[in-house]
Amino acid sequence: MLFPVITVTAQNPVDRLPEQIRTYRLAERVAYNADNLFDYINGGAEMYLSYGLTGMKGCRYVADGQPDVAADVYEMTEAKNAFGIYTQTRDREEYAYGQGSVTHRDAVMFWKDRYFVIIATVKATPQSEEAVKQLASLIDKAISGKGEIPGVIASLPSEGLAAAGHLYFHHYIWLNAYYFIADYNILNIDATTDAVLAKYGAPESRIYLLLVEYPGREAAAKACKQLKGKFAPAAEPDTAVQLEDKSWFTVWTKDHQLGAIFNGSSREATEQLYRAAKTKM
Amino acid sequence: MKTITRRDLLKKTAVAAAGSAVLLNSPVEAWANAQQAKTKVVLVRHQQLFAKGDSPDPDVARQMLDQAVCTLTGQKDAAAAWKTIVKPTDVLGIKTNNWNKLPTPAILEEIVKERVLAAGVAQENVSIGDRGVLSDPVFQKSTALINIRPMRTHAWSGVGTLMKNYIMFSPAPSSYHPDSCASLATLFDLPEVKGKSRLHILAMFTPQFHHLAPSQFSEEYIWKYSGLLMGFDPVAVDSIGLRIIEAKRTEYFKEYTPLNPPAKHIALADTKYHLGTADPSKIELVKLGWDADSFV
Repeated sequence: MLFPVITVTAQNPVDRLPEQIRTYRLAERVAYNADNLFDYINGGAEMYLSYGLTGMKGCRYVADGQPDVAADVYEMTEAKNAFGIYTQTRDREEYAYGQGSVTHRDAVMFWKDRYFVIIATVKATPQSEEAVKQLASLIDKAISGKGEIPGVIASLPSEGLAAAGHLYFHHYIWLNAYYFIADYNILNIDATTDAVLAKYGAPESRIYLLLVEYPGREAAAKACKQLKGKFAPAAEPDTAVQLEDKSWFTVWTKDHQLGAIFNGSSREATEQLYRAAKTKM
Repeated sequence: MKTITRRDLLKKTAVAAAGSAVLLNSPVEAWANAQQAKTKVVLVRHQQLFAKGDSPDPDVARQMLDQAVCTLTGQKDAAAAWKTIVKPTDVLGIKTNNWNKLPTPAILEEIVKERVLAAGVAQENVSIGDRGVLSDPVFQKSTALINIRPMRTHAWSGVGTLMKNYIMFSPAPSSYHPDSCASLATLFDLPEVKGKSRLHILAMFTPQFHHLAPSQFSEEYIWKYSGLLMGFDPVAVDSIGLRIIEAKRTEYFKEYTPLNPPAKHIALADTKYHLGTADPSKIELVKLGWDADSFV
């Protein structure tokens, strides 16, 4: 997939990290780009590549008798991609670091501007936990810019939206993140599209809303035709249809945007979410 | 290539009636080996595996491995069982997994090595390896492989499986990444691998059921399942392992939380590449030992 060509920033927040963090001392610096990130995290690199990685730099700190602490800063082509990775990793809404973070005893992750940051230790001890937090603060302060959240997120109706329950992407592999839709790129999702999957309702009656912004109306209409053709060829416009498993489904377009609702528990609930989403699109 | 949507699955009456979310997340359409006899997978669990702390008890692990291999082969004792798996003339590569955050339990490597040596394989003809297998002289001239790894979630293939464990036999592992590692089954066609696999062991001692970021590891997302899966069919063993991971995720997150992305390579290993059987209804799962919260 093609991403905009940008100049890789020579200065990465990791470059400014000190030689010593309390009892921890800097032991190693690493740097990788999109061509060799596999050497560092094997197949895990693909997720970053699917969001347009330009490079990463990392530091490993060691202390006698303590587990190592590693700080990795992934630089993306655009801030929205750092946000997208964050939506893949968060398990709660939290803003302790950067523009959104995840804090566990043994790891802190956050996004800020074009950067996605992971500071982690293999085992949490009082010393390693403290080092993780200090590194997170230092990197947060070293990133002066702020990134914009992709516009498609603003089209999500707020009522009923699950906490930490939406995922931004533009690679078809993530289409099934919450709910299996198709094992191929049924909606022609690529680097030119902005997509968000969202969970609504209670866990026992989840409804999934998918919104995709295409470069133009024709692309949205083509994708809509493909999805409708597979899921509900006979469906009337602006109405939900019931599938074999008794769940309700609908798909529509509005200008260059596509919306689809999966796993609706009733016609009313599905059409209510449809109306709310279409109004915000 | 044939494609599958949720609607395609729902149209299939049996699947729709079963309403199996696990099945749906693993895009299983029509299983390839419907007429085949069931493939056997052995699950052994032992409540005392971690009775002495965070390290597996070697004696319990040995007992579990022996039980599994006897059940799988139908032999009365482990020595006889291992002799059906390897022969003294074999040159044996034990393909392990050295991911530093959750490697193959060393005790399993040790016991397998003990057992194959006892079965007559020469010491110099046994090697345990992972990333260096292509340059390892024993692996280079191997006549037999034993595949051992722990199961864990993976940011691109859904789960790290026995099939994926052979990716180091490729000089270009990333060439197997497209479409979330859909073609991992074709690793078994590599000349270094083809026809050599004698046994597959999926360590479920402390499986990892979730991760927050690629290659991220947290003790929060492993649990002492205290089991191991063994079989001759890597697809069947991986399929059972996947069910355990999926079930644990549902329990932990208190709602169905599919792997992201789905582990499609397991289903495709059956339906497209015909490497083995992923369909649970075609697998004879033999469960031994501790059964609480086994999830299968």
